[in-house]
Amino acid sequence: MIAAITTSELHKAFGSVTAVHSLDLSIERGTVFGLIGPNGAGKTTTLRMLLDIIHPTSGTIRVLGQDPRVGGPALRRRIGFVPGDLRLDGRIRGRSLLQHYADVSGPVAPGAIDALAERLDLDLGRPIHALSKGNRQKVGLVQAFMHKPELLVLDEPTSGLDPLVQREFLLMVREARANGQTVLLSSHVLSEIQQAADYVAVLSRGRIVAQGDVASLRLGSIRRLQVTLSGATAEEVRAALASSAHLRDLEVSGDTSVRVTATVQGDIDAVVKTIARYHISDLTVEEPDLEESVLNLYGEQGRTERSENNG
Amino acid sequence: MVEALPVFRRSLGDSWRSLVGWTAGVGGAIALYLPLYSSINGNGQMDQLIANMPPELVNTMGLQQISTGPGYVQSTFFGLIGVLLLTIAGTSWGSSAIGGAEESGRLELDLAHGVGRVQYSLESALSIVVRMLWLGGFAAALVIVLNVPSALELDPLNVVAASIALIGLALVSATVALAVGAITGRRVLATVAGAGVAVVGYALNAVALQSSDVQAVSSASPYAWAFQNDPLTGGMDGPGVALLAGVSLVAVAVATVALRRRDITG
Repeated sequence: MIAAITTSELHKAFGSVTAVHSLDLSIERGTVFGLIGPNGAGKTTTLRMLLDIIHPTSGTIRVLGQDPRVGGPALRRRIGFVPGDLRLDGRIRGRSLLQHYADVSGPVAPGAIDALAERLDLDLGRPIHALSKGNRQKVGLVQAFMHKPELLVLDEPTSGLDPLVQREFLLMVREARANGQTVLLSSHVLSEIQQAADYVAVLSRGRIVAQGDVASLRLGSIRRLQVTLSGATAEEVRAALASSAHLRDLEVSGDTSVRVTATVQGDIDAVVKTIARYHISDLTVEEPDLEESVLNLYGEQGRTERSENNG
Repeated sequence: MVEALPVFRRSLGDSWRSLVGWTAGVGGAIALYLPLYSSINGNGQMDQLIANMPPELVNTMGLQQISTGPGYVQSTFFGLIGVLLLTIAGTSWGSSAIGGAEESGRLELDLAHGVGRVQYSLESALSIVVRMLWLGGFAAALVIVLNVPSALELDPLNVVAASIALIGLALVSATVALAVGAITGRRVLATVAGAGVAVVGYALNAVALQSSDVQAVSSASPYAWAFQNDPLTGGMDGPGVALLAGVSLVAVAVATVALRRRDITG
């Protein structure tokens, strides 16, 4: 079976800036493939090359078995695309805009546009310029999904969407996969990729720094911890936590109310049991931003470059 | 279903309001100027006024013939306000079709669909030509309607010829703007190029009219190609119109080739 997307030695330079370095990707049909990385990692550049919006400097691409430069409009009709920087404007109403794209890339099954709009709670009767950013993003999703393309290329598709719609979107992705469609999903939100994707590639500074199935990448293993507690002095708390091998960037401050921030890497159990001795008035455990976790996990090179930039 | 000319149809659908506005502007200008002819020229005061003006100014504005109906309509509408309105309209259409679409982020999504770039460029150009034909045709029709009531003594066929020259002239600016937008992806540069061609062409024509020694410079002026043989009295100037159409065709070809080769970066 032919892979949905393969790239080999794919290279893209804008002037003297290289955005994508010798990228090798292989995406099987019928899978959801996540492409993650911090902003500026080359995700959008890569996806634009798949759609022939920009042309590679060197290397080869095969999308659904064809070179995008050769496949042209006929190939793009088999793809649904949400641009990373979706900007829609104008007096045209949502329904007319979608009908235009259906004319270009159809056929679209009767009722498909309305069904999608209803799922996403989108009013198609309003002019695009009167829609909120989230609603414009929904128009973007509808135009990508409406003709049930073999391949969906979605660049940060959930930006601006509220959590309920994000959940509906994840359902749509799962249905697409069940339907035999292939989905390439880029994001800088880890949880989205973890929920939706079968395979992941981590992109940093134009290179793939890790790839594999989602579980193997341990992407969920880093957490930012913030605790406010009482019943002990800052020194006591620091001493209790200092022995933990899983904590980094530990900061403890305050006297009657002690404030602790730290990064937990790996097992969080010991840390929680340690702080459970005290009276806890506030506790948050959150995902770090992707940049932090990607660079911590995989990017020794990226990390040194980052500290050089900061210095 | 894949239907015919989707880019063209959407372009017209998006711009009909603006086209109504331009049509009203052209109609207003004609309805304001043409009926004044009889009252201005009734008693020979106009000739006297022009005799007292600096000859350079009279030459530049083409006022020598203003006491005749065709001369009046040429120097007020076809050679002046009409050129201004249609050139501005065409330049704005040309610069927004590709350059503006790219800047607004729309081009990226449009071209990610089942549309080829050659098709996109050609349908955009077609949309501009059709809108320009409408504006010029409307102007011709209104001038012909006002011909008898305003005692202008125009030959309707010559009115059509002058309108064709006007359309051709405005299309040069429009297609140059389209091409520069396709090359650079920048609306401002496209607008400057389209307007620049019009201003330089007008200036060269004005210089050429000052003396026969410098008349040769008019051969580089699209304005002169359109109006130097005075289509309102002499009828259709075939070579002039062919030259205007040729430049527009070359500009559309340049736009198409440029769009085909380029990265769309938004």
